[in-house]
Amino acid sequence: MKSLVSIREGGLASWALRLVAAAFVIGLVFWVPTSAGAGLISTAIEALTLMSAAMALNLILGYTGQISIGHSAFLGIGAYTTGIFVSRWGFSPWLTFPIAFLIAFVVGVIVSFPASRIKGVYLALVTLALGLVFPQLLTWKKLSWLTGGGAGLPNKDSQLQTTGFNIGRKEGQMLHFEIFGWDPFGDLRRPDNKAAFWYWIAAGVAVIVYLVCRGVVKSRVGRSMVAIRDNETAAAVMGVNLVKTKAMVFGLSAGLCALPGCVVAIKIGSVSPEGITSLTVKGAITFLIVMVIGGAGSLWGPIIGAALYVFVTEKTGEWANDDAIPALIRPLFAWAKVPPGDGIFAVLLILLMFVAPRGIVGVWNQYSSRIVRVLPRPAGAVGPAPMATAAMFTVTDSEGEHE
Amino acid sequence: MKRTRGLAAAIAAGVLLIAACSDDKTTDSTTAPSTGDTVAVETTVATDDSTAETVADTTPVTDPVAAGWTVDTDNCVDPAAANAPIEGTIKIGSAMPLSGGAAAAAFAPVKDGFEAYIKYANEKGLLGDINIEVTIEDDQYNAELTPGAVAKQIDAGVNIFSGIIGSPNNLAVRDTLNDNCIPQLAALTGSPAWGEVADYPWTIGQLVPYPVESAVYAAQIAELYPDGAKVSLFHVNNEFGQYYVEAFKELADQYGIEIIGEETVEATDSNPPTAQITNIAAAKPDVIMAVPLGAQCISFLNEVANAKAANPGWTPATFLTNTCASSLILGASGQAANGLYTSSNLIDVVDPANAALPNVAEYLAYMGSVGKSDVAATAGAGWTTAEVTVAILKQAQASPEGLTQASIIKAARNFTYTPTLGLPGVEFKMNGEEDPYLAESLVVRQYAVAADGSGTFTDIGDLITEFES
Repeated sequence: MKSLVSIREGGLASWALRLVAAAFVIGLVFWVPTSAGAGLISTAIEALTLMSAAMALNLILGYTGQISIGHSAFLGIGAYTTGIFVSRWGFSPWLTFPIAFLIAFVVGVIVSFPASRIKGVYLALVTLALGLVFPQLLTWKKLSWLTGGGAGLPNKDSQLQTTGFNIGRKEGQMLHFEIFGWDPFGDLRRPDNKAAFWYWIAAGVAVIVYLVCRGVVKSRVGRSMVAIRDNETAAAVMGVNLVKTKAMVFGLSAGLCALPGCVVAIKIGSVSPEGITSLTVKGAITFLIVMVIGGAGSLWGPIIGAALYVFVTEKTGEWANDDAIPALIRPLFAWAKVPPGDGIFAVLLILLMFVAPRGIVGVWNQYSSRIVRVLPRPAGAVGPAPMATAAMFTVTDSEGEHE
Repeated sequence: MKRTRGLAAAIAAGVLLIAACSDDKTTDSTTAPSTGDTVAVETTVATDDSTAETVADTTPVTDPVAAGWTVDTDNCVDPAAANAPIEGTIKIGSAMPLSGGAAAAAFAPVKDGFEAYIKYANEKGLLGDINIEVTIEDDQYNAELTPGAVAKQIDAGVNIFSGIIGSPNNLAVRDTLNDNCIPQLAALTGSPAWGEVADYPWTIGQLVPYPVESAVYAAQIAELYPDGAKVSLFHVNNEFGQYYVEAFKELADQYGIEIIGEETVEATDSNPPTAQITNIAAAKPDVIMAVPLGAQCISFLNEVANAKAANPGWTPATFLTNTCASSLILGASGQAANGLYTSSNLIDVVDPANAALPNVAEYLAYMGSVGKSDVAATAGAGWTTAEVTVAILKQAQASPEGLTQASIIKAARNFTYTPTLGLPGVEFKMNGEEDPYLAESLVVRQYAVAADGSGTFTDIGDLITEFES
């Protein structure tokens, strides 16, 4: 299909477009904590943690084609690592991020071994089992010395009263967060300042997860992942080490998914299987849906999907009882016995699979290319690509992202 | 790739549908502690001679001026805001599960009861020219969402919070509210954590602490079995169940109780606990002390009835947490509920025998007038929570400081009040650090099922007030 405008990748127009998009995103990221109230900031934190988890899942599912319905367990590992190390052993919450990453990475690698032998629905079932077993493990009596059992942490056995940054209320606790004398947040006991502080932690984690995912998918490993996803046999023939690649990606995905778990634990200040829905299998399904609706196999898919999910669930939460919703429609939202947002996303998921299987980002790419088409640089070209040559490469780029 | 995505989508859609269909299980169990709060309202018989008008005009007993405990606002984020007079409108915030399946179904009546009483209080002018405004945010019983829900309300200028449901949910906002000296009244859970006055002066629980209820049962078991009793424990494996059984175990020796077995059920498990009850039956205890959740109460009672039938001669006394003791749950259990022991401190508003009581009649009539008759049976907990909240506000208003956030928490911690739906003799009271819990009195009751299936409660002894500080 012919576009109104064609621009070359790496050209001036292409960079201008990128700058505009980056400015918009960066502006939005800074606008939320500086201009919005604590309520909106908290909503943004939910979106950021969900984005991070969905991006981590995207690495294994979207790029490598390995289905996981158990990533909630990895998020839970993150949350409980923070909970246990801080409340039982007095670690700094900051230190728990790398520890959580490492623990989840190891668990992910272990889980990947069956993944190297099975695929499709069988792998989905194995990971589903992980997602189902994990909360049970947390409440297991014989592990309650560590996890606090069903009551979670902190409890009367734990050394500290909180797992998070218990800001300012007690002696010796953090009132201000200073960076070389600069106090960017002010009094951290204020709800808006505290929310901004959490926001930047969540945003920092999301950026790290994004950069790691981007770095991986645009590397040689990333091309191996896409090759595995598209045709395992061909990938093996071309020299891709299937077991090693899957193990590394599963481990990396698990480790990255643990990071938003640390954020959740810090934000709530306690961890329990009942208190954190994200560490149950419902959380794993949410990551999956968010990623698929946003666009699997696309770096921006999980980000768009998570933002949309949080926005829709936030706006529709009370539709079942909201008088502003026509009485004829209201029962539809009460009938499903799930929050209206979940029902809406379930329907959206089914519809999208019919009309836009590549998710929202796929739709965007499809329709935006009718207006502006970015012609990729020909492989091996050093300088700007001649238009005629570049026009031959318009289907898929080397990282597997669909143009 | 296309195939993978399709498969992923199909699985996600399928699991979502399964999750939607099975949501009852999860939410039943996770919400039950607080459901129990609702239930507790229904399970008692009582008489209270206060009239409908006294519902509105009950004056707190404590002289607000003579109140001993006081709060230091110097460490508040904004001491001036904590001491600023509240004029015109007082905004009350809360967070409850309004969506999310059975949780929403279970707690919608609490919300209705809460809102109904606030409407009632405004109509009666209980706070004079101060209007009461309520906003209740939906946190889906998910503690991840509670901080956001509360932050949004703080942004909107809420002065106090009341009736937040769930222990993790209340814990998730406790620091913020204490830092900012915003009263967190009537937390709808029985966690002992709400008694930490020195560290969290601005947080108050509404329900009888779970360990207190457990101790009441231990004392009753000792009375029934003066020579010592063998007890098997059956409990849900979460914070709620753990608090109960830990307290029970600590008291066992003191009351000559030997614990011979302990079986658990996961909070999300809706299958009948057949294996667990078979194990219990094999040990032949004198007493089963049970702390199940929601629909698990029914399946537990049915399994015990089956086990009794399979083991002639074994007739253990069954003690069941009062979170199970609603007309709905026990009615659904039929004859299996016959003879069980439980406890309560509030009137069963659906018992026809109580319908003529002035307070009950007033309550039912008002709920009818706001179109909520259908949920009146289970809305009492919300009504009582709002009633206690308004009584605290009224006491604060009468204090020399007038209505401020600081005077509200001060009034709450120096408070004595007789709830209109409470049993005779039940007083909600707090006294600084000496008595950090609002409700600590209970009466043990036995449930009897007639041949026609109707059930009645009989008090076993007097109201137990020995746990009041």
